[in-house]
Amino acid sequence: MNAMSSNGKLLSVRNLRTYFETEDGLVKAVDGIEFELGRGETLGIVGESGSGKSVTSLSLMRLIPDPPGKIVAGEVKLNGDDLLKLSPAEIRDIRGKRIAMIFQDPMTSLNPFMRISKQLMEVTQLHLGHHRAQAYEHAIDMLEQVGIPDARARADGYPHELSGGMRQRVMIAMALSCQPELLIADEPTTALDVTIQAQILELIKRLKSDTGASVILITHDLGVVAGMTDHIVVMYAGKIFECAPTAELFAQPGNPYTHALLRSVPDPTAREQKLYQIPGLPPDLAHLPMGCPFAPRCERAEELCHREFPPFVKLTREHYSLCHFANEVYAQANAKPGK
Amino acid sequence: MGPQIQDMQASPSHGTGSREPLISIRDLHVYFTLGGSLFGKTQIVKAVDGVTLDIYEGETLGLVGESGCGKSTLGRAILRLMEPTSGEVLFQGKDLAHLSKSAMREQRRNLQIIFQDPYASLNPRMTVGQIIAEPIATFHLARGADRQRRVQELMETVGLNRRFIKRYPHEFSGGQRQRIGIARSLAVDPDFIVADEPISALDVSIQAQILNLLERLRHEKNLTYLFISHDLRAVQRISDRVAVMYLGKIVELSESQRIYAEPLMPYTKALISAVPVPDPKIEATRRRIVLQGDVPSPINPPRGCRFHTRCPYAIEACRDVEPALVEIKPNHFAACIRISPEQPNIDRVAPGEAPGLRGQLD
Repeated sequence: MNAMSSNGKLLSVRNLRTYFETEDGLVKAVDGIEFELGRGETLGIVGESGSGKSVTSLSLMRLIPDPPGKIVAGEVKLNGDDLLKLSPAEIRDIRGKRIAMIFQDPMTSLNPFMRISKQLMEVTQLHLGHHRAQAYEHAIDMLEQVGIPDARARADGYPHELSGGMRQRVMIAMALSCQPELLIADEPTTALDVTIQAQILELIKRLKSDTGASVILITHDLGVVAGMTDHIVVMYAGKIFECAPTAELFAQPGNPYTHALLRSVPDPTAREQKLYQIPGLPPDLAHLPMGCPFAPRCERAEELCHREFPPFVKLTREHYSLCHFANEVYAQANAKPGK
Repeated sequence: MGPQIQDMQASPSHGTGSREPLISIRDLHVYFTLGGSLFGKTQIVKAVDGVTLDIYEGETLGLVGESGCGKSTLGRAILRLMEPTSGEVLFQGKDLAHLSKSAMREQRRNLQIIFQDPYASLNPRMTVGQIIAEPIATFHLARGADRQRRVQELMETVGLNRRFIKRYPHEFSGGQRQRIGIARSLAVDPDFIVADEPISALDVSIQAQILNLLERLRHEKNLTYLFISHDLRAVQRISDRVAVMYLGKIVELSESQRIYAEPLMPYTKALISAVPVPDPKIEATRRRIVLQGDVPSPINPPRGCRFHTRCPYAIEACRDVEPALVEIKPNHFAACIRISPEQPNIDRVAPGEAPGLRGQLD
């Protein structure tokens, strides 16, 4: 069970497909995605609502509500073990221990009626077999590590007594209690104010380098991934549209969607007449158009794009783009550095 | 020396040249009382605590700050959707803060609001046509076929297909619902619109669409906006001037380019440095000011400068002296005793010095 995966990566996802039965029909929320994550690395998954980024993370944790959802195909290897083949008991043992997750809204994952200390203790009592006193000391230690002032006193309080930023710290303390190999952070700072967001991002960075954990950071904010990640995956309509090392993705995007996303972030230093906007609406996943799902909104789209699904083109060793014109877009992005 | 500084403190209203203010807010306070039952004692929340601000005709004034700073309350108090505790809101020679309820209702024709959550602010049982027609009917602006035609025009103005007139809000995406909200606010042909976090609930690609739509409408309809947001990038992009709010007070006010390029007050500096930039090269090299702690509660705000509990530049005097909003550079106002018109750069001020204090004590 503990054999290393052939490529030595911590996580390797192959052909993952998670579908949902809805009133409107079958929704292919995640439709054949692949990526890898090395030890100690941070991967950013970027996308808008409905892109499949959160369903991806829930699939990795096997937390898809069934029905209506189902992981219909794929392979998720953590250190060589295929998580999709594990029994419910085995996956429960991995969740919270080897893979931990933090969500956008800490209140959805903290029990409002339970003391903070107790919630942290449960994790280590379950997974590490700590006895009570040991678990309590570990809880205090974790709260101190994530920068909760006066941790010993706060530990006996309840979540509602803390601010949003402090609650997110408690979530992070809980997630890191068992020293997981992989931390999945799904929009961890979206509900927070910018000055608090800066604190939490710094905290995740510091804890990552202290513990050596790998991190998957899921966000809609290109600014957040720019400073935090080694690689980025850009999702749209359940597909990976582009993946690349972070610096390269920003410097030379090879996909029109990525390019458009980058251009639509207001740049305070620029003063063009009009802010670039992507026309149209995000796709309806139950009724995807033929061909490329982004084609109806794409500046570069030609007749071919409306007819045929695009290929996943390899641009460089680690840079791929889902586009009929990937090479062209990539070459043009190079000609105009920055934008 | 003293009197000179006094003069410059006079009013942050001398902003954009000779233009006339459309709205003049004078020493506005909005307090609420909290509790009284469960916890026994009644507490007072000072959501807006002495704000003086002019909004010029045709401009977009951005109002930024973190949650709980009072920015939404200020926007709502201008329209009397929340009752001001004291102070004035002058509009076309009338003080909105002291109008009777019925007189204020008449004024709402000129003053409109766009809300953050287009899911919560549209009546789910009304069709798009009814939602947009309602204010037209309320103010008796048009009836019958005329009203219908006007609704269709408004839908087209905001980029909604007029075929959708009989559809219900739940049939639309977030961005389209925001367009419905905008069409409704335009229906009465207002002069002034408070846009309260109008893009915060929307996807990145849709945010740009709504920002561009608001910008186009401002020119076409000669509108004036108070654009409230926690998103500094968006605020900077759409605004002519930006006011920064912290715990019920305006702490900095300037042209938006300037406030971003050279923030004067430590809180604004921290706020701007906290925004992540979508460029890995910049992110790797720039120094971020990470503020310690949370925003204190507006129930019992800190004495002196309200930011002193988190300010890396705070000195003893900051705990005692409440800083006034001073014109540090031409048209650039900041509330901080550690800077002055002579020494606007806080990093060059000697440790322990408070050059702004001399003026304030006179």
